[in-house]
Amino acid sequence: MSQVQARFFTENTKYLIDDVPFSIPAASEVVDLSGVINKLLEAKNDGHKHVEFDFLVRGQFLRTSLANHMETENISTEEVVEIEYVEKFTAPQPEECIMHDDWISSVEADSEWILTGSFDKTARIWSMEGKAVMTVAGHTDVVKDVAWVKRDGLSSLLLTASLDQTIMLWEWNSERNKVKARHCCRGHAGSVDTVAVDPTRTKFCSGSWDKMLKIWSAGMFSLEHSTRCLIQKDKMNIHLQQRKQLNDTPLMTFSGHNEAVSSVLWMDAEELCSASWDHTIRLWDAETGGQKNTITGSKVFSCISYSPLCRRLASGSTDRHVRLWDPRSKDGSLVLLSLTSHNGWVTAVRWSPSLEHQLVSGSLDNVVKLWDTRSCKAPLYDLAAHEDKVMCVDWTENGLILSGGADNKLYTYRYSACVSDAGA
Amino acid sequence: MRPTHSGTMSKVKNKKRNLEENEDEQLPIFDKDGGKDGHLDDGDEDQGDLSDSEESVFSGLEDSGSDSDDEEEEEDDDEEEDGTEEKSSDVEEDKAADGDGDDQLSAKEVTEPQTDGQHSKEKKKKKKTAGKEGGEESVVSARDSGLQTSSQVDEYEHDTSDEEDIRNTVGNIPMEWYKDYPHIGYDLDGKKIFKPIRNKDELDEFLDKMENPDYWRTVQDKMTGADIRLSDEQVDLVHRLQEGKFGDVNFNEYEPAIDFFSNEVMIHPVTNRPQDKRSFIPSLIEKEKVGKLVHAIKMGWIKPRRPKETTPQYYDLWAKEDPNSILGRHKMHVPAPKLKLPGHEESYNPPPEYLMSEEERLAWEQQDPEDRKLSFLPQKFACLRAVPAYSRFIHERFERCLDLYLCPRQILSFFLLFFIQVNVNPEDLIPKLPKPKDLQPFPTTQSLVYRGHSSLVRSISTSPSGQWLVSGSDDCTVRFWEVSTARCLKTVEVGGAVKGVAWNPNPSICLVAISYDDTVVLLNPGLGDRLVSTATDQLISSYEEPEEVKEQPVQWTVAEGEGHEQGHRLILKHPKAVRQVTWHGKGDYLACVMPDNGSSLQVVIHQVSKRRTQNPFRKNKGLVQCVSFHPIRPYFFVATQRYVRVYNLIKQELTKKLMANCKWISSMATHPGGDNVICGSYDCRLAWFDLDLSTKPYKVLRHHKKALRSVAYHRHYPLFASGSDDGSVIVCHGMVYNDLLQNPLIVPVKVLKGHTITHDLGVLDVTFHPTQPWVFSSGADGTVRLFT
Repeated sequence: MSQVQARFFTENTKYLIDDVPFSIPAASEVVDLSGVINKLLEAKNDGHKHVEFDFLVRGQFLRTSLANHMETENISTEEVVEIEYVEKFTAPQPEECIMHDDWISSVEADSEWILTGSFDKTARIWSMEGKAVMTVAGHTDVVKDVAWVKRDGLSSLLLTASLDQTIMLWEWNSERNKVKARHCCRGHAGSVDTVAVDPTRTKFCSGSWDKMLKIWSAGMFSLEHSTRCLIQKDKMNIHLQQRKQLNDTPLMTFSGHNEAVSSVLWMDAEELCSASWDHTIRLWDAETGGQKNTITGSKVFSCISYSPLCRRLASGSTDRHVRLWDPRSKDGSLVLLSLTSHNGWVTAVRWSPSLEHQLVSGSLDNVVKLWDTRSCKAPLYDLAAHEDKVMCVDWTENGLILSGGADNKLYTYRYSACVSDAGA
Repeated sequence: MRPTHSGTMSKVKNKKRNLEENEDEQLPIFDKDGGKDGHLDDGDEDQGDLSDSEESVFSGLEDSGSDSDDEEEEEDDDEEEDGTEEKSSDVEEDKAADGDGDDQLSAKEVTEPQTDGQHSKEKKKKKKTAGKEGGEESVVSARDSGLQTSSQVDEYEHDTSDEEDIRNTVGNIPMEWYKDYPHIGYDLDGKKIFKPIRNKDELDEFLDKMENPDYWRTVQDKMTGADIRLSDEQVDLVHRLQEGKFGDVNFNEYEPAIDFFSNEVMIHPVTNRPQDKRSFIPSLIEKEKVGKLVHAIKMGWIKPRRPKETTPQYYDLWAKEDPNSILGRHKMHVPAPKLKLPGHEESYNPPPEYLMSEEERLAWEQQDPEDRKLSFLPQKFACLRAVPAYSRFIHERFERCLDLYLCPRQILSFFLLFFIQVNVNPEDLIPKLPKPKDLQPFPTTQSLVYRGHSSLVRSISTSPSGQWLVSGSDDCTVRFWEVSTARCLKTVEVGGAVKGVAWNPNPSICLVAISYDDTVVLLNPGLGDRLVSTATDQLISSYEEPEEVKEQPVQWTVAEGEGHEQGHRLILKHPKAVRQVTWHGKGDYLACVMPDNGSSLQVVIHQVSKRRTQNPFRKNKGLVQCVSFHPIRPYFFVATQRYVRVYNLIKQELTKKLMANCKWISSMATHPGGDNVICGSYDCRLAWFDLDLSTKPYKVLRHHKKALRSVAYHRHYPLFASGSDDGSVIVCHGMVYNDLLQNPLIVPVKVLKGHTITHDLGVLDVTFHPTQPWVFSSGADGTVRLFT
């Protein structure tokens, strides 16, 4: 088998070629195929610049020679092979390296600001350029997780969860650059390892080592209300007491896990998903507090991420695999896909907010990997900048990949390829 | 004359005739037995006899035939008449020969014949019945007559061809027909035979009766009407017949019988008689009977007979030999080892050289019971009567009962080894261990390294929740790690190289015991739940001094100042260096080991809530290596260099003594079930003891290349691990079954390497994560590693 009949097609109108079958050597790899396409394009229009392409054969990225790929995928060589070509995802471009004083436990970025939690008991706010804007100090122990709640113009609400068993809700005014502790949510009997804000931005859920999930209110008091409270200093104490009472009692407590809760997220406004050390991922009804589904794995789950685009759960556990699950399936222990390339525990996973097939994972082997689910054997890119354990990753909607680790560094990468692809 | 039925009768007739003849011709003729008439008659009779004999034989055979009775009756009648005829003819002949003899006599005869005839008739009948009844008799008689015939010379010489009375030719008619005639018949010439003149009336008759002496023997011949005087022989014959005897005097009725129908099978049939026709015709009666039976069977009234048990029943001689049979179980014979014969020292009155001197006795008492040469002290008694009862009798009986109780397991393994061996290849004898793959989960890879210590880490311990790990090092620090991130959250400096750390297993108490030098510090790390942490502090601070202070071997002090800031709560000063600390499962008792060869104070047990210390052992039984609490029961395990002693803390006595057979025990761990103990030793061995099974190791594993430093059981998973100087941790699957008959399953599953060997030391301590199948190991390279 030296020649294979292949027909190339693409959805990107910029790089259309004639829809005719070609006979190409079976041993050819991505580079060879890319050259073929480029030559065809050059023949078509003169002003063509060289573009690297990636090839998909039946939904799977071509990573070895065509012959090898077809053999492993059990594709007949007799018929014409349909090969889709897409512009190669360009490697994420490293942008910033933000130094911290201690290990970075968590990171969450929105379009303007980066929020990190650190083992030095503080959370920090950074600008996209890597400038330290604000240090949020108040916890008595390691900050385990951080989250943006919402932004109203210049003032923002943010959450920090800590090993000191509390979650703190802060109000940060970017103009005056002042941060104020709004609430301190006490109630957990163990370190609060994870916190997640619901899509309506009015409440949040926390998961703790004490096996509990608790839902707290985030939007009980509007900003005006609180400022008014501050102004009316004589009544302040009463209001503070009220507030304290309200916040000391969570709206709802979910118990069901047998071990520590490691990660929690909202699938939608009514549905919660939590991962635990008891080897299960549980889906909860946030309204009734009932358990809806249980996914059972064989290892401790350390992190989960959900993509509304492909409706899949990605989980990282205390082994080398990133596993994809269907949260709706009744058969709760069926792994859809296992992405294996890491050499240590997967500590963080995050789906791309805009791309259906891509996710990023961080591991104890110091590497952040960018995955495409169409290429499960090997990741698209390895981001091997960290010198120590990667503790957290994030992916913003404007294409920024962030990763923080035990080497006290927060790396940001601009992933531009996705923009062009998305635009196509 | 037709042949008569009975041979005897014919004979009688014969005789009668002969008698008559004899009467006339006087006895000589009769005597000769060759009388002319007699011959004639005889011959004739003989013929009849011959045929008679045949028939009589046959009739004898068929004597049950009832239908023939009537016929015979008839015949009898005929015979009677025949007989009378013959007689009369005889008489006639006589008369003729005599030539008209006595008138009187003949007259007499006329009167008599009826009665006489009747007489004879009766007699004949009797005879006949006799003959009929005793077939044999008739047979005999027939033979007799047969013999007679054979003796005759010429039987046909004087054959007259018939038996007709030639004197009177009227034939066989009733003579009363001639009653009214003067004659009585016709002679051969056709002339009338006239009746003799009978003018006798009653009177004459009477006179005659009176006068004539022969009257009683005078009979009238009916045929001729003449009176005949019976001769003496005839009278005698009549008498004999009247008496029911045989007519023939010479006849022996008691001749020995010849058995014709014997058991001997003869080649010829006894009779030549052809088979009856009826024997060829199917019997209707039988058919009817069979039909009835068939119907009854069909209707189920008759049930077929139950078939007999065909399987023979034998006595199973070998029933007790088969161990699998029910009987065999009771006879499993495990021969006891031969006992040493008793020697002089066992005598109640031993020779003086066998008695121990004072020093010897002291030395004997000093030794461990198993080191002693003699298990007893030889004692001298004056007489057998003075010997006391055996003091350990009850104890030994009890031990024996315990042995028997656990015998089946021992025997089971014994039989597995030796019975299967017979026809199974040796490979099958190797126990089929499951593949390690099937025994997951167990730790396989190194996941995290906890770096921070600058010197060898001697001891590690996990918090009951599994979130924290504490490690004590020779760099005089204790570090607290977060398990999941390998982050050192706290470092506490102490005043010496830390030998042992132990996290309180009670989740509601947050205390860590740290031993360095001669001090044990109870430290509150302040990790985990704040409430628990503060509750622990309160518990310690709320302690009130008891009123009477006891003298204690350990000094308790409350930490203050900087120490308290660091978390120190209680400081226990021991008299000697403390090597190991271990908590009881409930978290109140703390055992400390101070190895010392000379002193009896090697192990102390502290009660934290009461701040009390006790020394449970008065005697030094050897260098204590480590101790452990039973997880459930109030037992306490003390490992000395060669033995593990199990003490009952409540009864304060030694319960068991495990013999490790190794040099020397370095570490020990108790299975969470409490019935199994593993011991690591410096000679590279790991011994698994099943306390229920034996005091010897159930299994000895020699997987490590160098001395074992630490062993540990997992609290939930069937796992145990051992760390060694060769830098490796070996994880084994150790499944303990609830079933007493099933031995623990021990399978080595993984060798975990990671630690670098520093100063010839590799892994110093191993411990399992309380909830996950993860194992921590601390090494001489200053790291703690987590394998998952």
